[in-house]
Amino acid sequence: MGSRGKRGMANPNPDPVNRLRGARLLLIVGMIPVVVVVVGGLGSTILQSIGLMPLVGPVRLSVDAYVSTAPALLSSIGTSLWIAAASTAVAIVLGATTAFVVVSGGRLGRIVGAIGAVTVSVPHLIGAATMGLLLADSGVLPRLLGIDATAWPALVAGPWWVAVIAEYAWKESAFIALVVAGTLLTRVAQFDEPAAMLGASRGARLRMVFLPLAAPALIVSATIVFIYTLGSYEVAWLLGRTYPEPLAVMAIRLFNDVSLSSRTESAAIAVLTVAISLAAVAVAAVAMRRSAVWR
Amino acid sequence: MHFTPPSSRRKWRTFATATLALGALVALAGCAAPSAEATSAFTDWDSVVSDAQGQTVNLWMYGGDEQGNSYVDDVLAPAAAAEGVTLNRVPIVDTKDALNRVLTELQAGRTADGSVDLVWVNGDNFRTGSEAGAWLCEWTPLLPNMRNVSATDPLLGSDFGTPVNGCEAPWNKAQFSVAYNSDVVADPPSTVAGILEWAASHPGRFTYPAPPDFTGSAFVRQVLYSVSGGYENVPAAYSAESFDQLTPDLYTALSDVAPSLWRGGDTYPADVDQLNQLYADGQIDMTLTYGPATLTRLVEDGTFPAATKVLSIAEGTLGNASFLAIPANAAHAAGAMVVANLALSVEQQVAKADPTRWGQFTALDVAALTPAERQQFADLPQSTVVPSFEVLSRNANPELSAEWVPAVNEGWRTRIPTR
Repeated sequence: MGSRGKRGMANPNPDPVNRLRGARLLLIVGMIPVVVVVVGGLGSTILQSIGLMPLVGPVRLSVDAYVSTAPALLSSIGTSLWIAAASTAVAIVLGATTAFVVVSGGRLGRIVGAIGAVTVSVPHLIGAATMGLLLADSGVLPRLLGIDATAWPALVAGPWWVAVIAEYAWKESAFIALVVAGTLLTRVAQFDEPAAMLGASRGARLRMVFLPLAAPALIVSATIVFIYTLGSYEVAWLLGRTYPEPLAVMAIRLFNDVSLSSRTESAAIAVLTVAISLAAVAVAAVAMRRSAVWR
Repeated sequence: MHFTPPSSRRKWRTFATATLALGALVALAGCAAPSAEATSAFTDWDSVVSDAQGQTVNLWMYGGDEQGNSYVDDVLAPAAAAEGVTLNRVPIVDTKDALNRVLTELQAGRTADGSVDLVWVNGDNFRTGSEAGAWLCEWTPLLPNMRNVSATDPLLGSDFGTPVNGCEAPWNKAQFSVAYNSDVVADPPSTVAGILEWAASHPGRFTYPAPPDFTGSAFVRQVLYSVSGGYENVPAAYSAESFDQLTPDLYTALSDVAPSLWRGGDTYPADVDQLNQLYADGQIDMTLTYGPATLTRLVEDGTFPAATKVLSIAEGTLGNASFLAIPANAAHAAGAMVVANLALSVEQQVAKADPTRWGQFTALDVAALTPAERQQFADLPQSTVVPSFEVLSRNANPELSAEWVPAVNEGWRTRIPTR
């Protein structure tokens, strides 16, 4: 905003107060659909979870839905956090590496960039089906390697959720790579080239130029990946285990359950998932404030 | 940048946000829970038919059965078109999706002009819909083709213990079946207890889908009958006492056999498709189905081993009927009635029962039909894999009331996989 004074001088009729008010009014108009969707969706979920919006029966304020889901909750939260954290961690490493290759330019950079763009456009459900076909006990990979189904490790529906994490990490690393590469492409050259001229090695440039510049975009995209992974259910349902259930799988099972009362329990799980997501956003906000660019 | 003092600006912003939020919440809270049973406004068939002309009926049905899909698209839909109704099949992953759509629409106050006109449904989904007043009722007596259906057939009078009450028209009958690879299973068991014994002595070669999957849940009920010494000993009406008295043996039996199941009972297939996949891949030697009709095609096209046979279970297996129901808020109820009536015609039921077409067992009372109509059923080609309905349904076990189903499923979920 350093050019504000100059622009004010160039404009013969500056009325910044009114102009800003007009902009704000426009912003509020634009915000209405967002507020209605977010507050409406979240609000109705909260109302359902505390018994104020029942499908049938009397309206009664209660925390029964939270209490009745409590026994399975701890293992579900643990499972969800494990899947989201592991997927995000792998996606960060893969995504940042990919972005580095893309930003470095050359033919390899263009090829990797194109592969990343194609990966982002694959729907998760298709990705999950592909991972299942590839990694299942009798999938393509064990067949290619000539390993018997009984000797193949339990990657699909196994104890460590490997196939689920692999799917999320693969898809989301491409997302992280595109976001990071996109924000860096225009800026990195002006720092990277002088550093190279001054004799900085590739490793030093990665540490001193690329990573600090990439940090904000990495933090933001990693937070998006974490929250998305925490809240989505299809991949974990398709490639995961019967027990313990991740929060999102539990929520969708309860939502679809035939007993009408379990919809409130489903809403309670959804509210908890939102709370965990908000906590993740708070952590990310702190990390952003600490990153060099924002100081 | 601060043209207005920050405190007043913040206050104004807070006020605006709060107003919007409150407005949205009040609007939502105003959505009333739906009222009780809706009944059809029609009193005679002719007005239904004239009202139906030009309507497009959205039939929501499980889309994972290709034969079922092609029967509806290639046989039923053209016949409906000839009667002036366009039939649009909406494929869904699970019947609950259709019910949930209707319930959500009703919850949001959309009591007419709903997006679902006809649902292929039975059992607990029908009961849940009935409890929520989600079905249109007392319309099936209007259908002329209901004369082909036995009025006293217990499978059609109540659906998993919930009185049908004219809220759904019969469509198919089904028989729970266990298929096995006769090349591998040299000593096929002949009872449900025998299946569990076979599983215990052949580690890793048997499993079942995790309830609440429909087929997995049916298998667990089948085991409940077995450990209770037959269906006669399990009261059809649910009570907490019967549940507490009968289910400990069930869960003991299932948890005893679990270490011998596929993956050591560490996890279960999430649905019947995953079970079929394991069977098709040769990882297990038996698969379960509540629609044995599909087996013929699966063996013919090489998905399932050629030696696939259906176990003959001495004590009989669960039998049920499935229906077509019209949601209370259906936009095209008249068209839906025309389709439901058409689906009950002898011609359509014969086409549907053909194992090369779909192979679904007829809901009609074949014995009461004219000799020429009976002959049409007798002339159907016989499947080499699946025995006839008469053989399969010998000693058929009645289904438990729908209240049993979620209770048994929930008991399984809290006891077996956490073992």
